[in-house]
Amino acid sequence: MRSLAIWLVVSAACSRSPHEPGAAGAVQLVLKHQPLWGDPAPFHAFLDRFRRENPGIVLRTDTLPNGSDIAREMFVTALEGGADDFDVFAIDVVWAPEFARAGWLADLSDAFPPARLREEFLPGPVQAVTFEGRVYAVPWFLDVGLLFYRSDLVPRAPRTYAELRDMAKEAMARDPRLSGFLWQGRQYEGLNCNVFEAVWGHGGELLRGGRIALDTPEARAAVQWLREAIETGLSPRSVLSSAEEETRRAFQDGRAVFLRNWPYVWAEVQTAGSPVRGKVGFAPLPSATGAPGSGALGGWQLAVSARLPPERKRAAEKLVAFLTSHDAAVELALRYSRIPARRAVYDDARVRQGAPFIAALLPVALRARPRPVSPYYALASDAIQGELSAAVVGLRRPDEALARAQKIATHLEER
Amino acid sequence: MNARRQAAVLAAPAAALLAGIAVVPVLAAAWLSLHRSILVFHEQRFIGLSNFRFLLGDGRFWSALSTTAYFTAVAVFAELALGLPLAVLLHRGGGLLRAAVLLPWAVPTAVSARLWAWLFNADYGLLHRLAPGVDWLASPRTALHAAILVDVWKTTPFVALLLLAGLQAIPQDVLKAARVDGAGPARTFFSVTLPLLRPSILLAALFRSLDAFRVFDAIYVLTEGGPANATETLSIYAYKTLMRSGDFGYGSTLAVAIFACVVAIGLSWLRVLGRER
Repeated sequence: MRSLAIWLVVSAACSRSPHEPGAAGAVQLVLKHQPLWGDPAPFHAFLDRFRRENPGIVLRTDTLPNGSDIAREMFVTALEGGADDFDVFAIDVVWAPEFARAGWLADLSDAFPPARLREEFLPGPVQAVTFEGRVYAVPWFLDVGLLFYRSDLVPRAPRTYAELRDMAKEAMARDPRLSGFLWQGRQYEGLNCNVFEAVWGHGGELLRGGRIALDTPEARAAVQWLREAIETGLSPRSVLSSAEEETRRAFQDGRAVFLRNWPYVWAEVQTAGSPVRGKVGFAPLPSATGAPGSGALGGWQLAVSARLPPERKRAAEKLVAFLTSHDAAVELALRYSRIPARRAVYDDARVRQGAPFIAALLPVALRARPRPVSPYYALASDAIQGELSAAVVGLRRPDEALARAQKIATHLEER
Repeated sequence: MNARRQAAVLAAPAAALLAGIAVVPVLAAAWLSLHRSILVFHEQRFIGLSNFRFLLGDGRFWSALSTTAYFTAVAVFAELALGLPLAVLLHRGGGLLRAAVLLPWAVPTAVSARLWAWLFNADYGLLHRLAPGVDWLASPRTALHAAILVDVWKTTPFVALLLLAGLQAIPQDVLKAARVDGAGPARTFFSVTLPLLRPSILLAALFRSLDAFRVFDAIYVLTEGGPANATETLSIYAYKTLMRSGDFGYGSTLAVAIFACVVAIGLSWLRVLGRER
């Protein structure tokens, strides 16, 4: 069923929307974005509104490959090769500083002043698109790590790691078939997200003076916590080979008390026939002190190609403003369950009524934090994954693995 | 002389095509490997053999090389050991059996690897149920063997097919003569069939070791090289360096290293094969 939906989206998106050969002097714009899942009609109807409001602009859409890694490969090769077949494009949250430094993204600070962005959008996404004080993209929608818990097994969401451990152990003592805490420990980008969240949860930072900082006491405590979760049986060893879906399935089958994952899990566990339907709650991640923890920020931002001449750049900015407007965010939340990057959307009556889950995500979304906003992060991330994996599987001590990861990051930054 | 010239003319298109799609890219990679080239930062400068010097001291490279060598040796040996009896069986069996055995080979690797990933899954996997307590993909020790198992499952039919062709080429009268001389089935197999099958076995070993050395898709889908880079083969390391980290210079250096290894393997097998004739 899902694959059929994907096919429909892709094929619908691939068929170029027919447009009249615009009046002479019309500005051509191509929007390149990831498929949104679900019925493409509402999104296209929304784009048609832009076309009606801007008769001087001829807008085409083009879809990106679905996987973030593949999309990045596509962009890196296309942008480096000076491609000009797309003007406005969706970029993943970790690419902005890298692409900005490469000179591929237009500086949007005049049309979207940083101060206004900070006022209207959530802090995490704004931080992710701001590089050296300038704005290079506008947050479109976001994703954020959060904690799901079984409301029938534990009285409330845990606030601290110790609480999480105790609650899980208690539930596991009652039913030995249960796993305690599921997270994503496979060697891939998701592992970095899980570790970074634990670093923030222990009061740490990932950037020091603009440089990636991994060899810190807080990071050691964070990795130690995850490693101990495995060693003490709080988390099953299966998390070490798990990505999002493996853990979501186990949790949905009622095999675990806690799950760290992304918001998409909510819709899945609430479907008819789900064994845990109505028995799941969600909350911000726990922390060492009990203050609500931060989830890793994911999601997409709209950027404008640096190659556009002024006139087309103005048109592109118009499109970005339209797609990141309050109304657009409401539409995306209602039709596609996309989580708004704009603060006020969470209070919009339409969202509160039509998508109460999204409205309730505000406390989590407010605390979403980007992975290190450094142009070197994407380069270093792969090597960091290997070291963090070595630490959580117990091949290297946390301090040793973090020192090695730090060395790789520093080596990259220094050349 | 005329015939020779004609042969050259006839071979020219094929040679040109081969040069275009094989020789030129190899040379381009070799040239790129002498540069520091990071697309995102517009860095592109000639640095001579620096990348190769770094390669010699790069622990991750050596670990990937030994992982790849281990994978190749164990997988190819197992495939031959299992492929031979399978070929004998197929030699007797009918067409339907042959078709059925070929199924794993026909399934695209990415698909079958995904299938195996679920078989290995620690919560639902069949293999996990059969051998509880073994964390197939979660432990650095077992993950590589899990990948080997997938490769063996997939390519044993291919090896069997190559050996089957060899079996069918063995003249019947030699076998009959052995029987007349009073050799039993075992004696016939080990003293007549096996020696005559040697060229086919070596050929299968050549094909498989070249292929196994460049293994990418099965492992990438199963583990992406994890945990702790325990299943990272040279191809995966090169891919990650090239495409994920965008380090085209060093990535090409790794590609050149793979190329050199593959050439070395190919040449040594060819030498063994040549001695056979």
